[in-house]
Amino acid sequence: MIELHLTILAITALIGLIASYLAITEKDLLKAVGYSAVQAIAYAIAFYLLMAPDIVLAYVAIAVGIYSALLIFIIGKTERYEVM
Amino acid sequence: MISLLWSITIVSLLATLIISVYGIVAKPNLVKKLIALTIFGDTANVLVVLLGYRVIYPVKPPILPELSKRALGEFVKTAVDPLPQALVITAVVIGMAVNILIAFAVIQIYRIYGTLDVREVGKTLPELLRREEA
Amino acid sequence: MKRLTGLLTILIITLGVAIYLAQNIIPPENLHPLGEYYLENSYFGEHSAKSPEVVTSILWDYRGVDTLFETAVFFLAIIGSLTIFRLNREQSEEAKQGEPKPQLPEPVVVVTKLTVAMILAVSASIALHGQLTPGGGFQGGSALAVAPLLVIAAYTKYALEKNGLDKTRAIIIRSIGLLGIALTALTPLLVSGYIMQNQPIFPGEALGVPLGGSLVLYNLFEYLAVGAGFTAVFLLLSIPEEKFKKFLGVRR
Repeated sequence: MIELHLTILAITALIGLIASYLAITEKDLLKAVGYSAVQAIAYAIAFYLLMAPDIVLAYVAIAVGIYSALLIFIIGKTERYEVM
Repeated sequence: MISLLWSITIVSLLATLIISVYGIVAKPNLVKKLIALTIFGDTANVLVVLLGYRVIYPVKPPILPELSKRALGEFVKTAVDPLPQALVITAVVIGMAVNILIAFAVIQIYRIYGTLDVREVGKTLPELLRREEA
Repeated sequence: MKRLTGLLTILIITLGVAIYLAQNIIPPENLHPLGEYYLENSYFGEHSAKSPEVVTSILWDYRGVDTLFETAVFFLAIIGSLTIFRLNREQSEEAKQGEPKPQLPEPVVVVTKLTVAMILAVSASIALHGQLTPGGGFQGGSALAVAPLLVIAAYTKYALEKNGLDKTRAIIIRSIGLLGIALTALTPLLVSGYIMQNQPIFPGEALGVPLGGSLVLYNLFEYLAVGAGFTAVFLLLSIPEEKFKKFLGVRR
């Protein structure tokens, strides 16, 4: 049974890795926020599997809700595309 | 098998840390730097919680299931370490408040310099100062 | 295409390193002695916080001073943000002028109303049961801060201000929360205890429900401080940029 937990944990860590890579290399900042929210959801599942229900409650609200809204506010007030 | 899955988890978290440090250092856009900084903080938090995990079955969250001394022995045998979790909760919320401060500074920089590119900001600053002197 | 190649390279390197390290890594199976001490003492022991929720009792009792200063960092970060976007009286009056009108289709707006009511109830329950079940001031406060965000998204921020929740009120609620935390931390000094002492100064339970002494007070005040602090920041952030450019006289 612990193998199942650890398998899901490893998959969430890999999803976090992929989503962070995509978020950091993305030119369109709004899409980057989307990838970063995917990473946040993966880590929320990881926190749940690591038996930390307290952190899940705070992390879901902060990282998926407030943080995405904050970045969308910034992008709305500044510019959307990253120029290299 | 167990140690393979455990090492995949740890190594991919460390790889995420490296990628996000690359994002903080190499990307010129300030909003992109903020995104990378948040990913860095989240990954560090997951690593800290990982320190307190126990690879046993069954494993339980650190909350007493019932208020009797009888259940205490079983509880201590199965519960994970509560200390890293308590430290991470404050780190998550306070990190968000600090991110908000950085975000406000980024918006103010955009208002003053008209750009989010750190190279452009570095070029515009001497021009602004010279204009004030003239 | 270049991105996908980079991603594949990183994944392959990660898996390779993981397989190489798997021979030497031993997954942890035992508790650290300190963690074991907290688990045993949180409700029953000699140095007890009278709370079955071990994480909350570490947060506000065993490691209470740490959390107290984290709250100070929170206070300073929010004050710093408010100072950067500072407005004088006329400007903040003008920033409030605007029509509260739904920005989304009708069904979405109705669902938002219901969701906001539910979030308020759930966040209060998370915060006030923090000494019994997973949850507490930080978690409840961040859940509470989602409610004004939803209202801003569905109705614009003028709807919040017309209904009495403007920036000043939010800051007042936040100050009440922080003041409550400070007073609760200092109260034990009056009865010759030490700072942030919990048992036996505060009652361990009431009507058969474990209160965890001061934990329930700290959770309540932290809930107000975190929720109202984030709300104040988002009220400022949602002022349209055109108004700010007018106030600041920006050329561009």
